[in-house]
Amino acid sequence: MPDVQALVNMFLNKLKKRKIEGSQATAKQTAELLRSVISQQRVPRTNQAGALIDAVRAIGEQLIVANPIELAVGNIVRRVLHIIREEDLSLTTAAVAELNLSTVSDDDDDDGGGGDQDDRPVLSAAAVAAAARNTLRPPSLQMLLEGAPDFVAVPRSSSSGGDSEGKSKSMDRNSRTRKLKHDIIEAVNELIQDITTCHELIAEQAVEHIHQNEVILTLGSSKTVLEFLCAAKEKKRSFRVFVAEGAPRYQGHLLAKELVARGLQTTLITDSAVFAMISRVNMVIVGSHAVMANGGVIAPVGMNMVALAAQKHAVPFVVLAGSHKLCPLYPHNPEVLLNELRSPSELLDFGEFSDCLDFGSGDGSPLLHVVNPTFDYVPPKAVSLFITDTGGHNPSYMYRLIADYYSADDLVVQRRHAAGN
Amino acid sequence: MKEQTTRAMWWRSPSFILDNRQQAQPYGTARGGALSIPPPPSTAMADPNPNPNPLTDKISAYYQTRAAHHGVVSSDWLAQAQAAVGHIPDDAANSDQGAPSGKLFSVIDEFNNWRKQPDLAEAVAAIRALAAVIRNSQATTMMELEIELKKASDSLKSWDTTSISLTAGCDLFMRYVTRTSALEYEDFNSAKTRLIERAEKFGEISYKARKIIAMLSQDFIFDGCTILVHGFSRVVLEVLKMAAQNKKLFRVFCTEGRPDRTGLRLSNELAKLDVPVKLLIDSAVAYSMDEVDMVFVGADGVVESGGIINMMGTYQIALVAHSMNKPVYVAAESYKFARLYPLDQKDMGPALRPIEFGVPIPLKVEVETSARDYTPPQYLTLLFTDLGVLTPSVVSDELIQLYL
Repeated sequence: MPDVQALVNMFLNKLKKRKIEGSQATAKQTAELLRSVISQQRVPRTNQAGALIDAVRAIGEQLIVANPIELAVGNIVRRVLHIIREEDLSLTTAAVAELNLSTVSDDDDDDGGGGDQDDRPVLSAAAVAAAARNTLRPPSLQMLLEGAPDFVAVPRSSSSGGDSEGKSKSMDRNSRTRKLKHDIIEAVNELIQDITTCHELIAEQAVEHIHQNEVILTLGSSKTVLEFLCAAKEKKRSFRVFVAEGAPRYQGHLLAKELVARGLQTTLITDSAVFAMISRVNMVIVGSHAVMANGGVIAPVGMNMVALAAQKHAVPFVVLAGSHKLCPLYPHNPEVLLNELRSPSELLDFGEFSDCLDFGSGDGSPLLHVVNPTFDYVPPKAVSLFITDTGGHNPSYMYRLIADYYSADDLVVQRRHAAGN
Repeated sequence: MKEQTTRAMWWRSPSFILDNRQQAQPYGTARGGALSIPPPPSTAMADPNPNPNPLTDKISAYYQTRAAHHGVVSSDWLAQAQAAVGHIPDDAANSDQGAPSGKLFSVIDEFNNWRKQPDLAEAVAAIRALAAVIRNSQATTMMELEIELKKASDSLKSWDTTSISLTAGCDLFMRYVTRTSALEYEDFNSAKTRLIERAEKFGEISYKARKIIAMLSQDFIFDGCTILVHGFSRVVLEVLKMAAQNKKLFRVFCTEGRPDRTGLRLSNELAKLDVPVKLLIDSAVAYSMDEVDMVFVGADGVVESGGIINMMGTYQIALVAHSMNKPVYVAAESYKFARLYPLDQKDMGPALRPIEFGVPIPLKVEVETSARDYTPPQYLTLLFTDLGVLTPSVVSDELIQLYL
């Protein structure tokens, strides 16, 4: 445990000091950290899933607070929680199925009175398992009138049904413990694999969207966009790229260099020239920092301007996003709450402007303020298409992907204080 | 023949079914000089002495009741309205005979009893009434019980065709009954008790739903914001109450909400909470819209497209808000989701309410008395429901899951 705590503290430090750049790296490291936490967590005999969920929740809360702007951290925490619930549920259903089979075989031997009594707990366990399956899905109209059984009760009831079977069940339970952790860690490994390879899956779809002799516009630099464009180039599409430089970090310059290295005809423009050039562009393809549940996009600063220009000239605005960027929260006031102000040194040279920015002069507050926001919010109606590793989707469809990847209980990641157990 | 062509000239709804339906029905006409229901022009000219039929088959009982609960009215038609609401079950009972009609009588009566309570939602009243049917039923199998419930639910729905939450609540309960009967309950009585218990619980669910919706919307109300509210929705009131309790600083613009003037009642309630309120006449909405940060409305029903059906004036406000880029938030419980898909404003059944102008209107002048309008989903930003925060496109998904 102290080993894990040291790892957690190191990671928290890195997050607080913003040492990790990019949502993919953050997501990967968060997943790896949570995998270590799970593998080293001791679990009790009953309700293993609950213990794991609590442990992950406790650490997840700290991680999210360390860097609330990096939404990928929260996304991965919630994905892992959802994985734990799903694996537990599938094991429970399997156990119930076993219970069914074993009861049936006992009936054949007993042949009579005992059979009826045994039928009822099996039936109710099946009903409870079915109900638990439904608690994993988000609340819906169908479930409105039904009382929701407590999720924690599920493993208990199946194990209490098992007690009557005797020794064979206790051995099964032991193997179930090990099996649960094993399954969860396997699933988390798959998640890490997905995060690492999201570029390839997205890039595979490039040839459907980029056609011969097209002009593509992009802003700043995104690895996903680079892979996307190069994949289309591999498939022998010839097209041109306009790269807006993406002040103040000028990462567009790096992207332009990379594209030229791979043999693509590139034009570098300033951000202010986007409106002037947009009428000559066929499609805008950009990366994103995070995608919110309503289909809105948190993207590097300047993206909203490009989106507005594209809307005005009816140019399709395509956003590429790996599934680890999909956040189940709805944004309220994202320009302020989901934004960070970076150092003014990216804009100004301190040497030249030292007298304007001097806090020592006059009444202690300088006349020149420099604001350097990191992100922009693009509303969902400006986006034409999202390309994720599962395919191309409408902004209004994102809620479905969220329902697949996350559980409704995990939206607020907070340690439950002596409540549901 | 000539009457029909004249009528067809003015009515341009692409919904042919509705036109045929309305041409087939007889028209109730004005009672006294102050009220006027629009008869087609030709009929008025042909028949100078209007037939004093009761207005009951055209007036929407749902909107009458809402006005009675939340509106501010000063004339004697309130008494007429309450009489209209109270009289119908007697008429139905007198025309029916036998034991099954005893059931019919009690369902609608029961429903009315529940509905009269101002704090109770329509759907809850409907489900309670159906629970009463189960309690009084002498059925011995689930099949029989289901058939009885279906009859009761149909009679409730046909008694007031304009209330969407009533229809939706009945449908929801019927779906639940069908699904429960599919599960293997060995004992009929235990199934029956379970149904009754869940129906009683539904009142709690509805109340909890309002709390959940209030909690979900808290994040969207920030300090220093101005909220525009239309119509008296208990859900929206709950939202604002919770925000006030959380010590948020905000002010509310409240539309008057003619003809019920429900806005007056709402502004009263808000003033009690020490929330700064400003009352606007309905026409002043566009004038004040640039000061507004968001629009909050409730819904009488949420339709399959994700649009809402709400008090007359909501569509207007949503249009103005959309043109000025202000978000429109809808607070609605999930049992208001209905399987309707209106294509235009006239595509729903008519829900009429007499409007009083304070001065007598000549008979030749038509008055638009529809009590509700339809707001298409592209003008709505988000829906707050007890199923979570939803975009309008999620509504049809939920309905499909329930009904298919």
